[in-house]
Amino acid sequence: MNNLMENRIEQMVDYIMKKCLWQFQSRAWDRERQNEEILKKTMQLLCDEPVDLATPADRCFWADAVCLADAYRERFQWLTGMDKTEIKDLMQVLKERMDYLTIKGSLNEELMIALY
Amino acid sequence: MPHHEFECSKCLPERKKHAVIKGPGEDLSSCLPLGYLNTIPGSISERGCAYCGAKHVIGTPMKDVIHLSHGPVGCTYDTWQTKRYISDNDNFQLKYTYATDIKEKHIVFGAEKALRQSILEAFDAFPDIKRMTIYQTCTTALIGDDANAVAKQVMKEQPDVDIFVCNSPGFGGPSQSGGHHKINIAWINQKVGTFEPEIKSKYVINYVGEYNIQGDQEVMVDYFNRMGIQVLSTFTGNGSYDDLRAMHKAHLNVLECARSAEYICNELRVRYGTPRLDIDGFGFEPLSSSLRKVGLFFGIEDKAKAIIEEETARWKPELDWYKERLKGKKVCLWPGGSKLWHWAHVIHEEMGLDVVSVYTKFGHQGDMEKGIARCEENALAIDDPNELEALEAMETLKPDIIFTGKRPGEVAKKIRVPYLNAHAYHNGPWKGYEGWVRFARDIYNAIFSPIHQLAKLDISKDEIPDGKGFVTSRMLSDEALDENVKHSTTMRPYTGKYDCLADLRGKTYTFPEPEVPLADAA
Repeated sequence: MNNLMENRIEQMVDYIMKKCLWQFQSRAWDRERQNEEILKKTMQLLCDEPVDLATPADRCFWADAVCLADAYRERFQWLTGMDKTEIKDLMQVLKERMDYLTIKGSLNEELMIALY
Repeated sequence: MPHHEFECSKCLPERKKHAVIKGPGEDLSSCLPLGYLNTIPGSISERGCAYCGAKHVIGTPMKDVIHLSHGPVGCTYDTWQTKRYISDNDNFQLKYTYATDIKEKHIVFGAEKALRQSILEAFDAFPDIKRMTIYQTCTTALIGDDANAVAKQVMKEQPDVDIFVCNSPGFGGPSQSGGHHKINIAWINQKVGTFEPEIKSKYVINYVGEYNIQGDQEVMVDYFNRMGIQVLSTFTGNGSYDDLRAMHKAHLNVLECARSAEYICNELRVRYGTPRLDIDGFGFEPLSSSLRKVGLFFGIEDKAKAIIEEETARWKPELDWYKERLKGKKVCLWPGGSKLWHWAHVIHEEMGLDVVSVYTKFGHQGDMEKGIARCEENALAIDDPNELEALEAMETLKPDIIFTGKRPGEVAKKIRVPYLNAHAYHNGPWKGYEGWVRFARDIYNAIFSPIHQLAKLDISKDEIPDGKGFVTSRMLSDEALDENVKHSTTMRPYTGKYDCLADLRGKTYTFPEPEVPLADAA
């Protein structure tokens, strides 16, 4: 990852960490699902692709994704100069970074407790 | 790991892993204290017990219920002199408090008869109330009283009453958080799905983890109702017992305090497929984003936007007035659990305060993850602090104000640091747009209180100025302000009413017709 992308990813992570709550559910499997679904839908919105809204859960992920995509468009002008492939690559790296910070690299010792 | 060791706790080396400083470049993979562990012996904790967490935090805000503690009368201490979770039925749940008054003879012979007698007496004394919650305490749990069996027998004899039993004795967890957990799980296991509610709207939510502190719930429910959304139940502030039995019928769980109530949301998702949406009711931007998300979920974003625009236009000039005067003031954000992350970033962004420390009495590592992610660099994060650590932190960080509970708050006052009650508030509600301005006003009044300025003088050693006349808060706060700000015609201090809830309680709302299930339509 070059410095430019690293810098952009950190800006995107910082926004999520400060403004969002969805990434911090209490168990690892919930965090995996939240990161996967919300960041996938955010990517689809940024790329003007259709978003699956079949279930209530999908609508819930989408509501968070709409707000995140709007915030990214408003704050990060450099997004407008990127094509769909570049946005998808960027969002994939963002997903990996979020998975690391909230799951794989997390120091939270309660993430793997079996029951809620 | 950037652990912080307090001088006063060097004799308790285990404490070192419970405090960290968020240094430059630190992230959650390198900076997180331990949390939700048993308090280390020798450390005089500020925590509550698991019974308190179950009853006094989550159970008792339910408004139309007799809340009975099965234990010594002292266990009922916390009521309207310490708790401010009001209700719109004349605060029934705060005005009356009940205990089975367990004595030594009960320890020897058992207290189930005393429990049964108390249940019957309480229902007789309040014949209009047909719902009861019973809380096991340390005493009765240790002697093995079967409160469930007693409650079951009474319900069999009196079919019009319904009783919920919570087995969360004081020793049932490291802190009050253990009690939050137990009552969440007990409620969904015993009561959810046992009542069929009246559905009035096409859009139905449960508002979860909201305790109506000085009216917070009523402010938020007003927004939801204005959007056409029926708040089927509130877990639990100003909430109704039977509404909470019907939580399975909502379309969405809107979760405010994830610390105390995420368990029931997670279980509702697993058992009934109801999604969980985490929101922030504090602060203009987080609240606006939260209302918008709820609106998006139901396809009524326009309704949310109308409220956001109206409320922001009305209250933003007043928030800005306080922000100009609070900029750069240092705060130790030391609440119990969730407010450390609800407030950490937004008091910085919207009020200009610098958060120099966050702590949590009963939070888990997940709360610290959120708090540390949201606060600025160099903040000191402490888990389960003791009084000496808090004093050392205040001596070192020199905050202008502390947001905390009344016990550590009074300690702060002794070293001449003003505090606001983060749990019960001063002049709340603090949620909602107007509420956020009321919070800013309380902070302003605390920091710039002329009396507090006088209290900073130590008559045993300081020179007491005798040539200085009367000063006001405004004279103190505006001393170094830019002239344009001082005489701004757009910004203004709070102009709301002393009681901002009275008008809400008389309001009526229009809801869109509920959708008829296909089977019924045929």
